[in-house]
Amino acid sequence: MNEYTGWLLDIYPHPESGIVLWLLCDDGQRRCLRQDFPVTFYAAGPSHRLRELWIFLKKQPLYIELSRTERNDLFTGSTVVLAASLDSPSALPPLFQMLTKLFPDLIFYDADLHVSLRHAAVHDTFPLARCHVVADGQNRVKEINVLDSRWDLDPAPPPLRILTMETDVDPFHNEPKQIMARTQKNSMTLDIGKETSLLSFMSYLLKHDDPDLIVTSHGDTWLLPLLLKLSNEQNQPLPFNRDPRGEINYRKEKSYFAYNQVIYRGQQIHLAGRLHLDIHNTVMYHDYGVDGVLEMSRVTSLSMQTAARVSPGTGISSMQIVMALKNEILVPLRKEQVERPKTAAELFREDMGGTVYDPIVGLHEDVAEVDFFSMYPSIMVRFNISPETVGSETKTIETVTGLRSVVKRDELGLIPQTLSPLLEKRFRLKSSLSTLSKADCRYKNYKAQAAAHKWLLVTCFGYLGYRNARFGRIEAHEAVTAYGREVLLRAKESAEDLGFRVLHLYVDGMWVQRANCRTVQDFQPLLDEIKARTSLPIALDGIYKWVAFLPSRQNKKIAVPNRYFGVFQNGEIKTRGIDTRRHDTPAFVREMQMQILEILAKAPHADGLKNCLPEIRMLIHASQTALRLGRIPLEKLIIHQTVSRTLEEFRSPSPVSTALGELAGSGKSLRPGQSIRFVYTRGIPRARAWDASLKIDPRTVNVTRYRRLFGRAIETVLEPLVGTDTSWLMQVCQLAFDF
Amino acid sequence: MGNVTPTITDLLHTEEANLAKFRRALRREDQLVFDDLFVAAYKHRSAASYAGHLLPFETFLLAMQIEDHKEVMSLRRELESLRKQLETLMRNSI
Repeated sequence: MNEYTGWLLDIYPHPESGIVLWLLCDDGQRRCLRQDFPVTFYAAGPSHRLRELWIFLKKQPLYIELSRTERNDLFTGSTVVLAASLDSPSALPPLFQMLTKLFPDLIFYDADLHVSLRHAAVHDTFPLARCHVVADGQNRVKEINVLDSRWDLDPAPPPLRILTMETDVDPFHNEPKQIMARTQKNSMTLDIGKETSLLSFMSYLLKHDDPDLIVTSHGDTWLLPLLLKLSNEQNQPLPFNRDPRGEINYRKEKSYFAYNQVIYRGQQIHLAGRLHLDIHNTVMYHDYGVDGVLEMSRVTSLSMQTAARVSPGTGISSMQIVMALKNEILVPLRKEQVERPKTAAELFREDMGGTVYDPIVGLHEDVAEVDFFSMYPSIMVRFNISPETVGSETKTIETVTGLRSVVKRDELGLIPQTLSPLLEKRFRLKSSLSTLSKADCRYKNYKAQAAAHKWLLVTCFGYLGYRNARFGRIEAHEAVTAYGREVLLRAKESAEDLGFRVLHLYVDGMWVQRANCRTVQDFQPLLDEIKARTSLPIALDGIYKWVAFLPSRQNKKIAVPNRYFGVFQNGEIKTRGIDTRRHDTPAFVREMQMQILEILAKAPHADGLKNCLPEIRMLIHASQTALRLGRIPLEKLIIHQTVSRTLEEFRSPSPVSTALGELAGSGKSLRPGQSIRFVYTRGIPRARAWDASLKIDPRTVNVTRYRRLFGRAIETVLEPLVGTDTSWLMQVCQLAFDF
Repeated sequence: MGNVTPTITDLLHTEEANLAKFRRALRREDQLVFDDLFVAAYKHRSAASYAGHLLPFETFLLAMQIEDHKEVMSLRRELESLRKQLETLMRNSI
């Protein structure tokens, strides 16, 4: 028997039977282990159909162990099912695909689950878990024990060997000439034109430096496909896969509609025995980087290559699946429950979102922003909201405030069980971050972890009402918002009872102000009162020196809930909904608006803001001259927009359709959901695609159009500061438009 | 996601659209007053939504009244303060 201790890098099905585990061992070796790991799926339905399924499965060339048993369905309780157990997890997906076509009337459970989730449920493993493994002479795992927990804040860092690869220019803009490859040991720049030496060096890096993780820029969609194509043509194999039996796993590109927008996911390339991350195909990479992907992978139990490329919704769904498997609850393909019939009056009363006020428009001084800590997940845990606990007809229940729905309290629901440790870890992270210096080596990692958790927790509420969620129920979704409204109104009442003026309410946050309240201690009694009245954790997000709530652009008399900017007492600027936050604002305008805000942030209080005007005026004049003389680099004038339809579907010409047409002319096509980059130009065409083959002449830039965007951005940040002082307003208008 | 009923903002837009012909027939100066009344209703969308009233237009009318009454109270306070200032001035001049 051999014993190994190390980090679990990846788990995937073996093509024949069982699974493959890759372990980064303490002795520096990367070991490929095998484990017998039978997988079971279940089917429920009329007994004659189950009988037919039994006969069908018996005739299959695979060894399938069949039995009739009873399992627990989250909604219907104990259910008679046919259990089918396979020795080879890799045989399940094709078999299941066949079964859904032949037996569409049966309900299948546990049939489409990642093997890493099943392993997590049985052995409590997770990617990069520290493990102790006992294996036989053929490296077949006999025993595996996990030595740390996914909920640890500072797990022992795995000794990952990382290879980063990027091209000298964005391949979708220009043809790259070089590839920069870097490992801990080597750093080299390789010419793409010299194919033989490129392949030799790549092969050397892969064999010699033997990376565990390959981080690429456009690796899924351009770089790896190119290298693999060259390797095929030159007949010079590149060992991207560490596992010699494994094949490169391609997953097709796709566009889909979610959250009211078309989303595009590029082609994916998954490796066997190594991990591949493409930073342009990693969800939220800009938010949390590799550290965040590692954390996402740890808490969701999904393989790192998958965790990086799926939405946080799939992440939270995976956590629920692992919890369900552990509790021996059947995991359906999608939810089978329909909404309880409701009257129109009930719908009006119950089908509502969170409380959102129209803020009091204008500039306000010494404002505190208080936020509930992960409000909706906290409500789910605190009030035990889960699909199986809400809407029950049992007697031991509690009515949700303002709704007819009821919540069972005697047994902890699946969702609160799943969320509770995640919330607790996030709370510990947040507490540590509040005391940690930015120079501390843990700071960046903690920030990335907190960002990963944030997205999981944000989506967990939406998944209660999502039509494809496995464990969703609309009544549970409604119960969460009902509690949310109640909690926020209690917070508002607490503030008003203590003499605060409530400037704004936004789902889980509140902006309040009271004369002579400027310090954290001044607001502490309010926090205590809110906590006492709501029993939910609340924190002071910060105290603003000043904050400006903005009106709508269409009607200056109407406020917009999520459009404001302000400066905290520590000088930090917070902006929401203004040009700096919009992804379609060109960098030139975004940077200018931010620079103006930085000048304003230096003012000690709101009264001193007008003294900043001369400095702002100088800045604007310098920028307007640079724009007029064509000194702003074209890169800073690029507009990014998401393509919502194909070129043929555009009915009237727009900058996007013009740019799409130009791209098509250069042989490049974009799918709905992909981002297009263009620059506004004078005359016809009105816009030029940034990534088309023909270069843009800087003299053709539509300066008037950019001036308009610039003027609007200036007006947004300066107009709210003027109050009733019309002379200052005149100056501002002059600055914004008169150049 | 979950919502199947129109949002309170949608309802307010619908009510405003339904009254478009009424607005059109008003004099220009009255049209401006009409628009102001709807701005008042916009300010209290959150409360109107929370009320979950089956006839939301009634809550919109009340919202208009609230803003109107706020204006009356504010003017009353201002008048009172001006009156006091005037009385003081007159007393001092005597």
